[in-house]
Amino acid sequence: MGDGHNTNRGSGAASNKPEWLQHYDLIGKIGEGTYGLVFIAKIKSNRSKSIAIKKFKQSKDGDGVSPTAIREIMLLREISHENVVKLVNVHINHIDMSLYLAFDYAEHDLYEIIRHHRDKVNQAINPYTVKSILWQLLNGLNYLHSNWIMHRDLKPSNILVMGDGEEQGVVKIADFGLARIYQAPLKPLSENGVVVTIWYRAPELLLGSKHYTSAVDMWAVGCIFAELLTLKPLFQGQEVKATPNPFQLDQLDKIFKVLGHPTQEKWPTLVNLPHWQQDVQHIQGHKYDNPGLYSIVHLPPKSHAYDLLSKMLEYDPRKRISAAQALEHEYFRVEPLPGRNALVSTQPGDKVVNYPVRPVDTTTDFEGTAPLQPAQPASSGNAVTGGIPGQHVMPNRSLPRPMHMVGMQRMQPQGIAGYNIASQAGMGGAMNPGGIPMQRGVAQAHQQQQLRRKDPAMGMSGYPPQQKRRF
Amino acid sequence: MAANFWTSTQQKQLLDAEEVDVVHQVDKEMGFTLEDCKLIKMHMANYIARLAQNVKVRQRVVATAVTYMRRVYTRKSMTEYDPRLVAPTCLYLASKAEESTVQARLLVFYIKKLHSDEKYRFEIKEILEMEMKILEALNYYLVVYHPYRALSQLLQDAGMSDATQLAWGLVNDTYKMDLILIHPPHLIALACIYVASVLKDKENTTWFEELRVDMNVVKNIAMEILDFYDSHKMITEERVHLAMHKLGFKQ
Repeated sequence: MGDGHNTNRGSGAASNKPEWLQHYDLIGKIGEGTYGLVFIAKIKSNRSKSIAIKKFKQSKDGDGVSPTAIREIMLLREISHENVVKLVNVHINHIDMSLYLAFDYAEHDLYEIIRHHRDKVNQAINPYTVKSILWQLLNGLNYLHSNWIMHRDLKPSNILVMGDGEEQGVVKIADFGLARIYQAPLKPLSENGVVVTIWYRAPELLLGSKHYTSAVDMWAVGCIFAELLTLKPLFQGQEVKATPNPFQLDQLDKIFKVLGHPTQEKWPTLVNLPHWQQDVQHIQGHKYDNPGLYSIVHLPPKSHAYDLLSKMLEYDPRKRISAAQALEHEYFRVEPLPGRNALVSTQPGDKVVNYPVRPVDTTTDFEGTAPLQPAQPASSGNAVTGGIPGQHVMPNRSLPRPMHMVGMQRMQPQGIAGYNIASQAGMGGAMNPGGIPMQRGVAQAHQQQQLRRKDPAMGMSGYPPQQKRRF
Repeated sequence: MAANFWTSTQQKQLLDAEEVDVVHQVDKEMGFTLEDCKLIKMHMANYIARLAQNVKVRQRVVATAVTYMRRVYTRKSMTEYDPRLVAPTCLYLASKAEESTVQARLLVFYIKKLHSDEKYRFEIKEILEMEMKILEALNYYLVVYHPYRALSQLLQDAGMSDATQLAWGLVNDTYKMDLILIHPPHLIALACIYVASVLKDKENTTWFEELRVDMNVVKNIAMEILDFYDSHKMITEERVHLAMHKLGFKQ
């Protein structure tokens, strides 16, 4: 793409790295999935920018570039929106036939933000942040839907939030491995296999619908909205693991318990859905009398927030609110108004939460196979000189942690110590064990802190929801 | 964007005929003429269609594959990118992009079945390596819009649904030319309807005039299609063979 996609088989003067790789300083691995690895790197020509590099392994079945990668490249190459992750480059290494996608790096994701509030600070996410995240998520989704793209796998870990920098607090929808254009599919959509992580899966999918629509994404947004409010997944069903496409009884039961029993009256096409019709596991009999969504999300039933949420969690996909309609909802027209920097409120007195940065495993090189040095224990505060030339090691970030922007399987965090150090460093600006040069350490975080205070209106101007959408 | 031709990368990358009708320097040195290149691309478009019949993928996949192949040769030489490998690989890549993935070994099986000629034989590994080179040559732009969608709607609107088969066949034949690299798909569809009206002796000048399109462009495309049919009559197996012969042996 653009520059640097040369397929250099030769080697540079000092290393065997392919030429394109020499544009970057690899910092370390931030995630791992079935398809490959994710790394964080700096662009040599612009060191203030970090990028996330997703490496696709050659598939083992001898079938070339994975269709998931193809789908992600083809969609992301066409689309461009502030609230959609930006694919900055694609690289191919012909020697080992691996494919690399380079994205603008986003420091945070909703999974980690929610977890931080729930497990670390024990405090709800402030209403301004919730509303701003939701508005931007809807804004990105509306762009996708109006371009006939369904995401199909929205979940907190796929919703990224930019860290320090000019785009601080901007939401980016990521992971398009399951996304597709639904204008003229060659195969029925259901043949593509099961989509959407079960907690965020819409009831029509759970009931075996063959022709689903962009409304499945809106259901997922409703679940995410509730989770932002309560810090707990709204419908935490036990997944039935079987192939293909097993009936998820427990997930449906969890939904019925909260929203009440679906009826043909409320949802006329319900009776046509295969799993409802066949009713092998007697889901029709799961009747719950006292649905209580509002009590679970702690919202007054007459509030705007509750009204919007319940419209997203409408059973009938045809009645479910669309992204475009949701953006026009009254909730976004009342104080606090949503803003571009979701993390920093302009409300006087609102505290800025310092979210932890992603831990980086600096012991893995691009091959992911040959450790450059023995892995460091998570709690180690010692400086370790990395084996990668020109690399600075950041002990604060040495924990490998799953990088969810790309929806891979979660790695178990090995320890939590690193988080505290990192966030303290961000707050106090005084900690730098061993005086190690840090690329994204203390000094920068401190600077950003100042910037936030100096410019409280950053990104706020011209961002009211009443404004016409930009496309 | 992805579901709208007007904001797509395809629209931004439409080429002038002069940019498509190129003979790369290495190919010139090998003795290729522009005519040779056109013949080879046509021959390869046919090859892709035959392979597609065997592996059972739909016309849209064929159309996308042919478009990829034609885009590749606006940037790469036939000497370096052997069309006999590029063509099946484009079908392989297009099958993934259009969500009808075909296994590489199935493709290799049918290549062998269709061609006893050693020069057409390729290993799975060679296809996989070429897939990556093609991705690169395409600059990772993979979404392609075709005239088919517009065609059905326009035919209905023109009250010419009875000419669907004819017009559809005409659109299929446009992939034997480079039109898809030069013109927006709906104008190609209109040109095919125009040709179909002429062939069927159907008078629908008013309908065309009411469309807000540049009829000169439509007529020019229609002329190109008719010219192609004229010259096609003169294309003999032997001429194709001569052009293919310049490709020489597998490197």
